Amino acid sequence: MCCPGCRAVAALIADSGLDAFYQQRTAFNERPQPIETGNLQQYLVYDDPELAATFTEVGADGTLSARLLLGGVTCAACTWLIEQSLSRVEGVASALVNLQQSRLDIRFDPQILPLSEIFARVETLGYRPRPYQASTQRQQMADEYRLDLRRLGVAGLGMMQVGMFAVALHAGDIQGIDIRYQGLLRWVSLVVASFVVFYSARSFFESAWRHLKLGTLVMDLPVALAIGLAWAASIWATASGTGQVYFDSVVMFTFFLLLARFLERRVRQRHAMTWFDAENTLPPIAAVQREGQWLGVPRIQLRAGDVVLVKAGDTVPVDAEVISGDSAVKEDTFSGEHLPRSVASGDMIYAGTVNVERVLEARVTGDYRDSRLAALQRSVEIAQTEKPRLARLADRIASWFIAGILLVTTATAVTWSQIAPEQALWITLSVLVISCPCALALATPAALTSAASALRAGGVIVRGENALESLSRATHMVFDKTGTLTEGTLEISDLHSLADIPAGELQGIAAALQQYSTHPISRVFSTTTAATGFEQVEYHVGRGLEGMCDGTRYCMGSEALCRPLAPQLPPPPDDRLYWIALVREGQALAWFGLGDRVRPEAAEVIRSAREGGLQLELLTGDSSGHGLLLAGELGIDSIHRGMQPQQKMSRVGELQQQGAVVSMVGDGLNDAPVLSLADASFAVAGATDLARTQADFVVVGGDLRTILDTWRKARQCRRIILQNFAWALAYNLCAIPLAAAGFVPPWAAAIGMSLSSLLVVLNSLRLNRRP
Amino acid sequence: MDSLYLLIPIALVFCVIAIRLLLWAIDSGQYDDLDKEAWRILADEDPPATSEPDRTDESDEEPRR
Repeated sequence: MCCPGCRAVAALIADSGLDAFYQQRTAFNERPQPIETGNLQQYLVYDDPELAATFTEVGADGTLSARLLLGGVTCAACTWLIEQSLSRVEGVASALVNLQQSRLDIRFDPQILPLSEIFARVETLGYRPRPYQASTQRQQMADEYRLDLRRLGVAGLGMMQVGMFAVALHAGDIQGIDIRYQGLLRWVSLVVASFVVFYSARSFFESAWRHLKLGTLVMDLPVALAIGLAWAASIWATASGTGQVYFDSVVMFTFFLLLARFLERRVRQRHAMTWFDAENTLPPIAAVQREGQWLGVPRIQLRAGDVVLVKAGDTVPVDAEVISGDSAVKEDTFSGEHLPRSVASGDMIYAGTVNVERVLEARVTGDYRDSRLAALQRSVEIAQTEKPRLARLADRIASWFIAGILLVTTATAVTWSQIAPEQALWITLSVLVISCPCALALATPAALTSAASALRAGGVIVRGENALESLSRATHMVFDKTGTLTEGTLEISDLHSLADIPAGELQGIAAALQQYSTHPISRVFSTTTAATGFEQVEYHVGRGLEGMCDGTRYCMGSEALCRPLAPQLPPPPDDRLYWIALVREGQALAWFGLGDRVRPEAAEVIRSAREGGLQLELLTGDSSGHGLLLAGELGIDSIHRGMQPQQKMSRVGELQQQGAVVSMVGDGLNDAPVLSLADASFAVAGATDLARTQADFVVVGGDLRTILDTWRKARQCRRIILQNFAWALAYNLCAIPLAAAGFVPPWAAAIGMSLSSLLVVLNSLRLNRRP
Repeated sequence: MDSLYLLIPIALVFCVIAIRLLLWAIDSGQYDDLDKEAWRILADEDPPATSEPDRTDESDEEPRR
């Protein structure tokens, strides 16, 4: 067990007798966040009938059907676990999880079971539930999926029919067949094959034509050409009653290509479905001042000028200007850092940040669309469109391969029409058929799928397989600091004792004072046993704490707060850590150095990445000296501090314009835009949902070394792809001249084609070993 | 051999029926989640009896909104 979150989930699963889950899961689960009761309370808002109505329907028998979108569903065993544990709950009529869309459809009796309880139970299992709101994009994806499936199904059934007729025709070729029956079989094959070509193979023609109009030659072009020409020539053969028909090859080729694409797209879509909307993290209800009273008002009804109340511990619902109170807000959303920013009257607070210290009153400056959080989400969308599309290896090779094929075919046609005009058409066609780009078309997808499945077994969720190709060409690897290279939690890294008091006692005093604070710093001390005897402890917002013990006054916090009490307090030792002072009247006691521990494997990862020839960069939202020091310690070449999400994006964009292929490793909400822009990106354990949905790879365990394994696998994958291409081209180079010379009968061409494809697939399967 | 003129059209009719059936099944959402259905039959060995209503519900449960 790696963390309290996992332990809680494992205990729950075992207690419910559902431990078969662990034998049957086929992929690792994402690491759950430790469960806090506060987390579960956030779902109470869904008991509000108005809000619930947006994603529920009331059935005829009084039951309620709700649709939830689940985060963290990785394999079929997850769906089983969720269904089993929910359907045992009293009041649940049925629970069904759709794995493809990560969607839970649940029917339950709202009299027995409140909706919030269902959310809470799903959360307890380690998944992240959200209301499922239909969006056009998701609808479109579902429609495309069905269309693909229809085309595939039609091609499959057509293939069986045409294949049956082809057996008869081939048998007829060998033992003799009456010309009448041959004609019949050919005409029937023609009808079926034409239907398949027009219905199923349509996507190849459309894509080839679309790209041709843009002036690019893609793999779909030779596919469309091979299908189109073989089909046309077969029609000619049928109509004229001469030559050879290739209807079976046409249909079979269509079917297998559609199958490969369908499988590839299915994997991609599954992960694309787990979308994330930043707006959903905001509280749905906000306290607003109306006629001198504080009223709970739905957040979407807030208007500029309203005065809202933000309690300590609450998420700020909307961008606003503080008008009374002073506190601190935790802005890890935007900076990725834990230490909060102090705010007082006149300062701006932003939607999505958390108020940590005291209640604030603030005047709303605009609605969600104008907020900084919305801007962050928009920049994610912009980044997606700006992401440079590296020309795919297959397409680049396809370009000159197609050109070559067309040249050779034309040359063959011209030459043979001089030598023997009656044979010219058939020999030209056999050149086209034997050069059938099956092996070439399979070379990339087979290798990518195989590598992705190996990575999945090793604890990396691969969201975009094409990113494997980009990753293999990466020249730069860019890291985020907090939560990525470091553990992401504050701890006491250093203690400078200034008086003759043992360290344990100093920590005890510190802990005693810090109990009175809600500041994130106080959590660092919560594990230490507090000294007793403190009274009249007072909390100075943004500065520190003050208290009395045995008649002596103690102070803990910033230098400015402590100096008046103990003028001899030396300045903080350095700016490497975040220092807080502990003093008592007339005596300086200690400096506590707080820092974020570097992940133990970080140094090794950085070293190996550098040895592998990658340029390393650190982009951090933190503006303190800690980043510099860390970069020096780990040996990172260049560092940029105090970066806003948009600045991170422009830095990566800059690198890409210089021709670099950038892979980015990050975790926070603030990293999401840059993860989405980078050519290949990783979200590490504990990453926020938005970061996960933007990253190409999600590292499930907490181990950074997995990133290097993935990178190595990507390079290996590229080698395999190149081998596949080499083989496919070599085969074509040998076979085409033979065919052009008229030496290859159709059956030999068919065997050669199948063998070359088989070899490509087998070679790709070599990748399917665990990293 | 003249029976071919009858049998082949019959085969085609069956093929058309099969395609219609398949398209109907796809459109009614029966193939929307291929991973789970393949796996569900294996998982049935040890879950509790409460899973029974689950499965029978499924055909009419498939939501269309």
